[in-house]
Amino acid sequence: MNDLEPAIGIDLGTTNSVVATVRDGIPRVIPNRSGQTLTPSIVAVAKNGKKLVGALAKRQAITNAENTVFAAKRLIGRRWASKEVDDARHVLPYPLVSGPDGNDVRVELAGRVFAIPEISAMVLAELKADAEAWFGRPVNKAVVTVPAYFNDGQRHATKDAGRIAGLEVLRIINEPTSAALAYGFGKQMERKVVVFDLGGGTFDISILDIGKSVYDVVAVGGDTYLGGEDFDRRVIDWLTFSFAKDNGGVDLREDKMALQRLKDGSERAKIELSGLTSTAIHLPFLVGGGEGKPALHLDRQLTREKLEELTRDLVDRCIAVAERTLKDAGVRPAQVGEVILVGGMTRMPRVQKAVKDFFGREPCRGVHPEEVVALGAAIQAHALTAPQPGLEVLLLDVTPQNLGIMVVGGYFQTIIPRNTTVPTSETHLFTTVQDNQTSVRIAVLQGASERAVDNELLGEFVLDGIRPARRGEVEIEVTFDISADGIVGVSARDVVTGQQQSITVTATSGLTEEEMKRILDERVDELLEKKQTTQEFDLRRERMSATMAEIEGLRPAVSEALERTRFGKDAVQKAEAVLSRVRQAIEARDTSALGEQEESLERTLQLFKGLAGAGRGPGAR
Amino acid sequence: MSVDRDSGVVFDPAELSEDVDLDLERRKEILRAESLIGKTTHWETLGLPWNAPAAAVKAAYLEAAKVFHPDRYAGKRLGSYRARLEKVFRSLTEAREVLSDEARRSAYARSTAPPTEFAKMEARRLEDERRVTERRARLARSNPLVARAARLGELATRGKLAFEAGNYGQAANDLLLAQSIDPSNAEISVLAAEAKRRSSAQRASELYEKALAAEAMGSLPAALEGFRSALEADPRHARAAAAGARAALALGDRAGARELAQAGVRAAPGMGLVHEALGLVLDAEGDKKEARRALERALELDPKLELAKDRLRKLRWGILG
Repeated sequence: MNDLEPAIGIDLGTTNSVVATVRDGIPRVIPNRSGQTLTPSIVAVAKNGKKLVGALAKRQAITNAENTVFAAKRLIGRRWASKEVDDARHVLPYPLVSGPDGNDVRVELAGRVFAIPEISAMVLAELKADAEAWFGRPVNKAVVTVPAYFNDGQRHATKDAGRIAGLEVLRIINEPTSAALAYGFGKQMERKVVVFDLGGGTFDISILDIGKSVYDVVAVGGDTYLGGEDFDRRVIDWLTFSFAKDNGGVDLREDKMALQRLKDGSERAKIELSGLTSTAIHLPFLVGGGEGKPALHLDRQLTREKLEELTRDLVDRCIAVAERTLKDAGVRPAQVGEVILVGGMTRMPRVQKAVKDFFGREPCRGVHPEEVVALGAAIQAHALTAPQPGLEVLLLDVTPQNLGIMVVGGYFQTIIPRNTTVPTSETHLFTTVQDNQTSVRIAVLQGASERAVDNELLGEFVLDGIRPARRGEVEIEVTFDISADGIVGVSARDVVTGQQQSITVTATSGLTEEEMKRILDERVDELLEKKQTTQEFDLRRERMSATMAEIEGLRPAVSEALERTRFGKDAVQKAEAVLSRVRQAIEARDTSALGEQEESLERTLQLFKGLAGAGRGPGAR
Repeated sequence: MSVDRDSGVVFDPAELSEDVDLDLERRKEILRAESLIGKTTHWETLGLPWNAPAAAVKAAYLEAAKVFHPDRYAGKRLGSYRARLEKVFRSLTEAREVLSDEARRSAYARSTAPPTEFAKMEARRLEDERRVTERRARLARSNPLVARAARLGELATRGKLAFEAGNYGQAANDLLLAQSIDPSNAEISVLAAEAKRRSSAQRASELYEKALAAEAMGSLPAALEGFRSALEADPRHARAAAAGARAALALGDRAGARELAQAGVRAAPGMGLVHEALGLVLDAEGDKKEARRALERALELDPKLELAKDRLRKLRWGILG
């Protein structure tokens, strides 16, 4: 088993990310290099130009809000023109810009423009490095999770992020499905399970039929814009409103640093209220009073009751989605054998109560809401690389949204309805709508709306060479095909002439192939540079270690010589200082610091040689 | 060429010897399943007997998925077998989809039933229908309340149908019977009264037509009899009354004529014809003054009544002369 390449599962979250693996048949979370299991999904460029990821980035977020990117997951695979992005632009402290073709979203960070997958890739790369440190060997294969309701574009963008981070993404799986895998792993159970996943940015619900080692997803549903951040925002809005009232209309949202502190304070208060019934939000010196007036402080008491009142409609929305998804699956709440709560927001007592009331049963408490998703991903990664007899897992996943094409009148015709088990394929017949029409444009779409424009365009192609005939006489057969790893292929065929066209739907992540190539090239350059630095370091270390050994070798002679002279008493102390600085630089593997010391070390050696020689001179006399 | 003994599938040696990470048995299993796609029923696809229940379908699907889902061979070289596996898996999914939906399953069962099974199913269906009818009948016989309700329903339904068809005699008959079973049913009462009224009117106009025909043929006694019957069937049939009065008068039955004319005026006080008839009767009786008043009234209502005009002229002259 151990000679197999390790595979990891990554829960790439809105606020936090987790990496896990299966070792010796047991799924386990890999702690990051600071010993934590949760790594904040935050990326920043510090004032000195250094890239920071995770806790380091989070720690400096307050003082560097404009160059700190959080919640990138809310933007990944989204169109610049979408409502979601428009909303985000008004609340996020970091600047968003449109991509080159105006299609996707980019982030400007310390003067450089990054695509969202590049930002996510930095988080993934950090987790990859953590896993490599833990295994003590390279890790390349990973399963990454996404919210069940992510569309094809968002999934592709996530996959691209993995590629940029140097990972082979074996599969993109749904977070709730992943949680169910972790829940049922090794338990040989047979029951219907509902996973209720309320995370930082998204709400997901899935219904699965677990039959021993087979996990059959019956239905998925959710809302990609409903999560912990919305709960936080309610608290932020409440605080800013009351603050403005108390302080003559001061708008805290105009001050990015204040907004960041408010965000942190609100989130902390919300988390505390899962255990307490009341908590204080105390933010001293939040904003300057202006024109020589003293700075203003924020000091408010927030009760659990008030928090529940502020967020009641958000909880109601979750239950409404749950209701609709159950109805889709033809499952009554009473038929559900277990409800699994996933995501930090499900720690909120009001959420737990709403779930309990709806399903009429206590939700399962046996899983860790923040780690379970990564564990499931690790199990799937393991099953896809090193299946072990007795621990087989088979995941039968479904399509999250309707797939179809645009038909005459701008309508959307579904060909593969949502919640269809993959792999699958479906064929529909269409006809021409004009006399002597010789070509048709096939626009492949995904979404829930009847109108084509309201759905996500996955790709399009033209079928030509159609024989001229009266309208409605030519039949065109359109086939959709989804493989086990979720790749969508579409083909169109003229039934009579056999003329055929097809596409594999791939690129809507916002990154063009050239850009992807450039990014990957840059990464290779970066790696080369790193390798070069390493080589340089090793050379320098070797050279300087030799010098240090020489100095150490001369030390007895120098001490002896110094005993007999009144000069150069401080030479040993100075040498000691140089040696300790060199040792520190070696410890920190800091090539440049090591370089800075090289000259002084050389001088020390010359001095020692001189002293030793001088000592020997008079001694020989 | 090697032939599979159980299924008669002919394996292509090139396919069997493809360089993939699958043992021979597995390859044969996949090729066999692929060759049977579209040729077997959904139950057979899942390895189940015809009409196996939904629970068995689900279990068989999950078992088959363990063999035919491409993920089971992750990391192995599959060559052309990947596409084959996906194809087989799709047919399994389709089978599961059809057979786990109760409505689709029973429709599919009917369309795929083997001949003997189909005959059995038909027989069972007919037997079921027969039993249901019999049960209802038995229930109706044994329970007076149910019997009454059933009879009531039957009569009401038949009555309404007849009413809609314009067969008011039949409708009145059924609805009146229904009304007698359940007098508190307002709908039936209203409908019964209306049916009865329309039925009488229908019968009266039939009799009236016959009487007119008799009168035309010169058979006055038969005509008079007919007009009387029509009026009897529908007391509001004023024309029958007026015509009857004239016929009676012609036959010299003044008392009868007067009675009929008065009934006509009661039935339709706004009709000139009946006042004319009354005028004629009064004139014959010698009551000139009343006769004149009646005839004037008749002309007032209907100025085109020639007989009334003529008689009135004579009456006036009589006074003058």
